[in-house]
Amino acid sequence: MLARAAGDFYWMGRYFERAEHTARLLDHHLARLVDTPADVLAHGWQLLYAALAQPLPTSPTETGDTEAFLVPDAFALAAHLIEDTENPDSIIQSWTTARDNAKQLRPWLPIRVWTCLNDGFLWLRNCDFTECWAQGPNRLPAGVVDRLRHLSGVIEAMMSRDNAWRFFELGRFVERLQLQTALLQAWSRPSNKKSQMWAGLLNVCAAYEAYCRECSMVIQPGHALAFLISNPEVPRSLSFATQSVQYLLSDIDPAGRRYPRRAPHRHVLRLAATIETNLQASAEDADTQDFLGDFAEECRTLHDLIIAEYIDYPLEQGLPS
Amino acid sequence: MTATTSIPDNLSATAHLSFDRVRPSVAGPTVAGKGGFSHYSVESRLHDEMFHDDGTSRTVAERLGTALNNAMPEQLMQLQDGVRRQFLHEGITFTVIGKEEVTEQIIPIDCVPRVLTDSEWDHIDQGLRQRLHAINLFLRDIYHEGWSLRDGIVPYELVLGCPQYRMEMLGTKVPHDVYVSVCGTDVVRTRDGFAVLEDNLRVPSGVSYMLACRAAIKQVMPRLYRAHNVREVLPYPRQLYSQLASLVTWTQSPRIAVLTPGRYNSAYYEHAFLAGEMGAELVEGRDTVVHDGLVFMRTVTGLKRVDVIYRRVDDDFLDPVTFRSDSLLGVPGLFHAYRVGNVVIANAPGTGVADDKALYAYVPDLIRYFLSEEPILSNVETYLCRTTEGLTYTLENLDKLVVKEVGGSGGYGMLVGPHASAKEKRDFAERLRTDPANFISQPTLALSRAPCFIDGKIVPRHVDVRPFVLRGKKETWIAPGGLCCVALRQGSLVVNSSQGGGCKDLWIINEKERDA
Repeated sequence: MLARAAGDFYWMGRYFERAEHTARLLDHHLARLVDTPADVLAHGWQLLYAALAQPLPTSPTETGDTEAFLVPDAFALAAHLIEDTENPDSIIQSWTTARDNAKQLRPWLPIRVWTCLNDGFLWLRNCDFTECWAQGPNRLPAGVVDRLRHLSGVIEAMMSRDNAWRFFELGRFVERLQLQTALLQAWSRPSNKKSQMWAGLLNVCAAYEAYCRECSMVIQPGHALAFLISNPEVPRSLSFATQSVQYLLSDIDPAGRRYPRRAPHRHVLRLAATIETNLQASAEDADTQDFLGDFAEECRTLHDLIIAEYIDYPLEQGLPS
Repeated sequence: MTATTSIPDNLSATAHLSFDRVRPSVAGPTVAGKGGFSHYSVESRLHDEMFHDDGTSRTVAERLGTALNNAMPEQLMQLQDGVRRQFLHEGITFTVIGKEEVTEQIIPIDCVPRVLTDSEWDHIDQGLRQRLHAINLFLRDIYHEGWSLRDGIVPYELVLGCPQYRMEMLGTKVPHDVYVSVCGTDVVRTRDGFAVLEDNLRVPSGVSYMLACRAAIKQVMPRLYRAHNVREVLPYPRQLYSQLASLVTWTQSPRIAVLTPGRYNSAYYEHAFLAGEMGAELVEGRDTVVHDGLVFMRTVTGLKRVDVIYRRVDDDFLDPVTFRSDSLLGVPGLFHAYRVGNVVIANAPGTGVADDKALYAYVPDLIRYFLSEEPILSNVETYLCRTTEGLTYTLENLDKLVVKEVGGSGGYGMLVGPHASAKEKRDFAERLRTDPANFISQPTLALSRAPCFIDGKIVPRHVDVRPFVLRGKKETWIAPGGLCCVALRQGSLVVNSSQGGGCKDLWIINEKERDA
């Protein structure tokens, strides 16, 4: 497969994962507008922006009037994260960039995948944000999540399991690793010990039911964090994403699972081992913060290695012997 | 997820075609100016594709005319909406680069097909085969022996002074002497019959829109399409692949790549479409490298050899080592690999000399010279402003002529005399006097008209057609159909999509089989 096309698939996967991640967080947060105290909501916005690694455009604490912040600021902040084309990480921007990548991939994309992706883009672009807000603040992000899941289903059903699909999935899981790490970093701050907030996080990560089944109905922050890091059966855990990257890299590499493995593959094995080691270590707050900080750095390195190994390698390295 | 407007199957007894409801007051013979065609007029000086001069329907268009005549206006609106939505949802677009921003536009498409008989098409087919054969012989000649120049068939200065003439191609061996593998020739129809308006030999575009039009029409009017026994254009990508592959001598399973300038090119959709349909790689210059005279592309598992490059990049930008050194779109060293015979480039560099608008005037002579045959398709009368007589005639008749730049395309850089203002004509006359060799002029053609559905009415609009011709090692293949361009603005003769034109499907109807 052409290296540039692989790169486009990889980035397309990353942008879709980013759009879905933002939409899920917003969906959860905006659904709580109706019955959550203003100060909790304000704190929620701070967490949400921290998890997205974006600066909060207006700080509710500066206004001194948390009740006034409740609706008008929520509208502005949601608009900033959904439809602001100036914000490079907004949902519309992520979708636009993913579509730009997809446009270059028309020869590899099944037509149904393209039309589904394009329809979703046209729907989002033509949505009137104010009108959607009037129907329910979380209506738009919920719609985005639905459409992205629909797209995932179409991709699942239509695409051959070749390198095109593998690089798309690889992009999704590398992005997921980075976003989930940032999310866990934001939530695991010492000031954030309310079990209610952690229940919300488990919900956002579609892991609440699994946690209740496997651990307890009583949410304990430490357990919830460990659950989201190391449970290999929860799709949004770090362990699950690491394993997925590992399998995808094995399939992409023509040497398969044999030695010597290529640099990104070796690196992701190291990441998996780090998670295992962390499981056995004591769950002190400071240790967890350090672990997540280091893990985030390692995820960035993983991305660089993938680009250098498969997409933008030196030409002399790729010449046939 | 594509949005389509399908026709219900419960047809009434009177409507034997797709449209299920009949407008009660007009269910009679199809006549221009009446019923569904009440806004349609026939002019005796213009050939009409659907009606005779007396307003009665041509035999070939009878069924289509009846269906349109009987259709309710809202049904036609649905059809029009259906084909447009299909283009929108599938992202069939072209890029318009403005002063401040790059926008993506949908090709305007009209839902009413143009209809030709297969005997009419066979005439065009034969003419185009003959023309392409002569052009390939001419190109070989000017880059080797130069007999046609020595014998005075074409002036030396016209060829050697042409910006598209490539000295680098002198003596270069071209695989199987096929310089032009893909050709898109614009054919118009007047009262005098079919004529060639121009040859596009460098990177002719539009074939993807032809295929997309056909796919959309099949979706929205399946029964009407089926009833007409239309000749099929869909094998084009397969044929393109076969013809390009046949030019390779060193392997049985060549790797073909479509070389594109990138996604900001106005025809990017087409490049991606063709690569996808052929199963070829869509590469940019930055994806490829030349090493030891071989061309490679960068894949995730290392560099892989490329055997054929179907380039959609102009000669100038093809190879910064040989041609324009500031090009970022090409592949350094590509021309060297071509010269030593390690890669096929289609179309060959230097073919643009034969689609220069001044040289166009000599193509009938070239056919006579190389093939000893009379041209099957005539040329449009052309005055070369490089000659004193041509310039004088053009300046004296500017209000009646269409003046074009010899290297222009896309409807840019031309003056349509009858529609131009006095100031435009003055300015153009000045340009003509300053650089006469850069211009040719032609009489304003009375292009044929075909019915189009515009603003809820069926009205006549001027049309032309670009058939696509493929040439491989042994055979020539012509898609039975073409990109039918239509000037959507009333009275306009400019059919280019960048200038208010659109496209429609062209049906070549096999009359014998249909009637059987």
